[in-house]
Amino acid sequence: VTASSPAGPTTGPDVETTLVHAHGVAALTTLLVSVSFGLVAATSLAYPDLIDGASWLGWGRVRYAHTQGIMLGWLGNAFLAFLYHAVPILSGRPVTSAALGRWLFGWWNFAVMAPGWLLVLSGRSQPLEWAEFPLPIDAAVLAGLLLAAVQFLPPFFARGLDQLYVSSWYIVGALVFTALAYPMGNVVPELVPGARGAAFSGLWIHDAIGLFVTPLALAIIYFVIPAATRRPIYSHFLSMLGFWLLFFVYPLNGTHHYVYSVIPMEAQQAAIAASTILGVDVVLVVANLLLSLRGSGLLPRDVGLRLVATGTVFYLLVSLQGSVQAQMAVNARLHFSDWVVGHSHLAMMGFATFAGAGGLVHAWQRIPWARYNTRALAWSYWLLLGGVVLMVGDLTWAGLVESGAWSRGLPWMDSVEAARPFWVARVHAGALTAGGFVALLLGLTTGPRGGGLEALANGADAPHVDHVGPRFLGAGESA
Amino acid sequence: VTAGTPATPPRVGRAVRLSYAVAGIGGVGFFVLSIVLLGVWPGRALERDMRALSPDAPLGLTASEARGRRVFAREGCAYCHTQQVRFLDADVARFGAPTLAWETEVEYPHLWGTRRIGPDLARQAGVHSDDWQFAHLFAPRAVVPGSVMPAYGALFDGSPVRPRQDARDLVAYLGTLGRARELAGPEGEARAQARWARADAHLRQMAFPSAEIGHPSRARARGAVPAPPAGLSGPTGDVERGLSLYAVRCSGCHGARGAGDGEAAAWLSPRPANLAGHTYAPRRLADALWHGAIGTSMPAWRDYSPSDLAALAAAVARFSQPDALAATNAERIGHGRDVYAANCAQCHGETGDGLGSAAAAQRVAPTDFRGQRANRALTLEAIRRGVEGTSMGAWADRLGTQDIEAVADYVQSLFQADASTAPAPAAERTP
Repeated sequence: VTASSPAGPTTGPDVETTLVHAHGVAALTTLLVSVSFGLVAATSLAYPDLIDGASWLGWGRVRYAHTQGIMLGWLGNAFLAFLYHAVPILSGRPVTSAALGRWLFGWWNFAVMAPGWLLVLSGRSQPLEWAEFPLPIDAAVLAGLLLAAVQFLPPFFARGLDQLYVSSWYIVGALVFTALAYPMGNVVPELVPGARGAAFSGLWIHDAIGLFVTPLALAIIYFVIPAATRRPIYSHFLSMLGFWLLFFVYPLNGTHHYVYSVIPMEAQQAAIAASTILGVDVVLVVANLLLSLRGSGLLPRDVGLRLVATGTVFYLLVSLQGSVQAQMAVNARLHFSDWVVGHSHLAMMGFATFAGAGGLVHAWQRIPWARYNTRALAWSYWLLLGGVVLMVGDLTWAGLVESGAWSRGLPWMDSVEAARPFWVARVHAGALTAGGFVALLLGLTTGPRGGGLEALANGADAPHVDHVGPRFLGAGESA
Repeated sequence: VTAGTPATPPRVGRAVRLSYAVAGIGGVGFFVLSIVLLGVWPGRALERDMRALSPDAPLGLTASEARGRRVFAREGCAYCHTQQVRFLDADVARFGAPTLAWETEVEYPHLWGTRRIGPDLARQAGVHSDDWQFAHLFAPRAVVPGSVMPAYGALFDGSPVRPRQDARDLVAYLGTLGRARELAGPEGEARAQARWARADAHLRQMAFPSAEIGHPSRARARGAVPAPPAGLSGPTGDVERGLSLYAVRCSGCHGARGAGDGEAAAWLSPRPANLAGHTYAPRRLADALWHGAIGTSMPAWRDYSPSDLAALAAAVARFSQPDALAATNAERIGHGRDVYAANCAQCHGETGDGLGSAAAAQRVAPTDFRGQRANRALTLEAIRRGVEGTSMGAWADRLGTQDIEAVADYVQSLFQADASTAPAPAAERTP
């Protein structure tokens, strides 16, 4: 396959479009389920008498199901869909096995997600953040990660590491380190009690975002920007510098979730220092990405590229915010408030979801038989943007109000009552976002077959650049 | 993309390949470093701390408490209620002594939490009565209007007075939070003081005077020190502010008009006071608001400002609907005094101040007749039938009608509305 079509690189014979499509549909389905859990939790916080707390849809249980669903169901499937699209293009080799792919698809959705949700909702869970699925599901997740490694790593190693594009590095890093980090938060605290276990929980809370979500979201961004603009990334050197800094520094952040705790102060301060360095690293990464977007603007007509570009901006915002809120004086005041919930929504719903959705749309555009609804996708982008801005703004403001009440020593209920209007507003922000996700689902399941290629040909943003850098998409890319 | 036919063959030298190898090893190395630096090493340091600070055999959880812990975990309680008091002044002032490592050593897994929608629960033991906890779990807004906690009706058999096993276990667990630290006693705190004597100011906050480990809002014995702020007992409260505070903080138990008939009243034992049927001396109201009432569901409200509490006291005074004292005579009062001395004084005190010789042994403090006067009907009812949930028994079958009426007259006559007649500070009398 040559890259000479105006639509940019299409899928080659090596891309298992069926698996891209299957994981895409699973991603959108689990996304809508997870968002429904989030909406139930948000609604029951704003109107607490709606649902009995100890029922299957009680606040705590849907809260567990919400974040596990977003991380493993939505992002997990969206990343897998992207990997089926990108790995053959990046490595020049097919993935290990289509049959293995069908097993992985079934395993991830019917041995991890479905039973995980059922167990959590029925009350079999562990009260550990980003690790709420119980131990049997943890084993299933690890097995799934192993299958993913077998599926996606060999193509890279067959090609030789010295020809890897930065996306490939991120993919390899994510697949290896997620499997190593996962037991830290999911298993160790069940065996190591109290404060010592909490230290490991802290590691995982950051590794989940730092070694699983961020590398794969960045792999998508680094892939989609040059593929859609058909220009090389601004600086390969900056790409690699950012990659290595990220993998060096991200794991060292964990303890910043437990500042002013009994965990030794030296560990807290090391984590805070790492959090500061991380902010600098992200400035490098995002500068490189934004420079690569020059000429396309931040609102390219290609929805896939637009989602990815917006996700890049969210990545900068959420990372700088993270560096600031890890500082002791800031943390003392804002920790435990909705500010932090806003932060995690900016990360997962802003950065990761926009990148994941952008990767999905990008891959979809290049499946000749996939349905593609341009109008629905345009709606989706604006609904999602409105939703995430409202959600994060609302929660950030709520956090300031709550922490203000706490620091003034007001009675506890004053902080609850002051936050109540923000929680009501949050339901609306969530509903808006859910609308965006429904539009995303419609965008990728209705409309004409092959509509994506047509849309690209008709006017998606593809500046006339006749040179794609030798380091992008392996070596075979030439216009 | 066709592999293997590069348009511009990348020329990657040994140096670059070597740098990838170095970086790759470095990446794995930093991951291992993170586990060692932020996981294993802190664990070692915490173990050292725990060896130095932990009591030899800290109390674990009973089977019921351990089951309650699982309910707490299952329902996501830790996602709104942290169990980790940080060593920050604001945290300590609100929730008590900072959490030490050994205190959570029974937690598999830990329940520290990272979000506080509701208050921290690390020192929850003794802050609320079990009745209150059941009522609060069953219908949170009945006892805390404005709360956003879900109602856990499924843990009950239709009413908070009929808790299922899960609810009993959960409340038993809540009663353990902070318990081990208190049981470690002054010795435990002395060890912590010594451990951190040379540390910086933050860490010194880890150790506490042993009397102050518990939750700062926990109810204290009547007349305990420190006494309520002086401004609290004055008649200066802002009634309008008080009435609005009362409506959202007190009416759930004491009822909209103070008649002791709020939604939660029937679920609590002893029942909430009928404020309309009593007249209170200002010092008595100040005491109840500031210290709470041990053994009942009345918490202390020290997290409110003295001016707010004065406003509440003014609002409560407005609810009071005293009846006229019954026409009586010295002979009948004298008879009442004799009956009182023979039957009541051990608990209620010779002067009626509620501090008799047996008072300290009672779970609920005996009524202070000098500080409060119940209306006649309430007084007679209490004497005849006793007061459920307290040590006050029924006297209808032990005293004659005339004795009962005489002693009712007598205890009503003991009331001293004037604050200046307050008893001597009871600190030395109250353990």
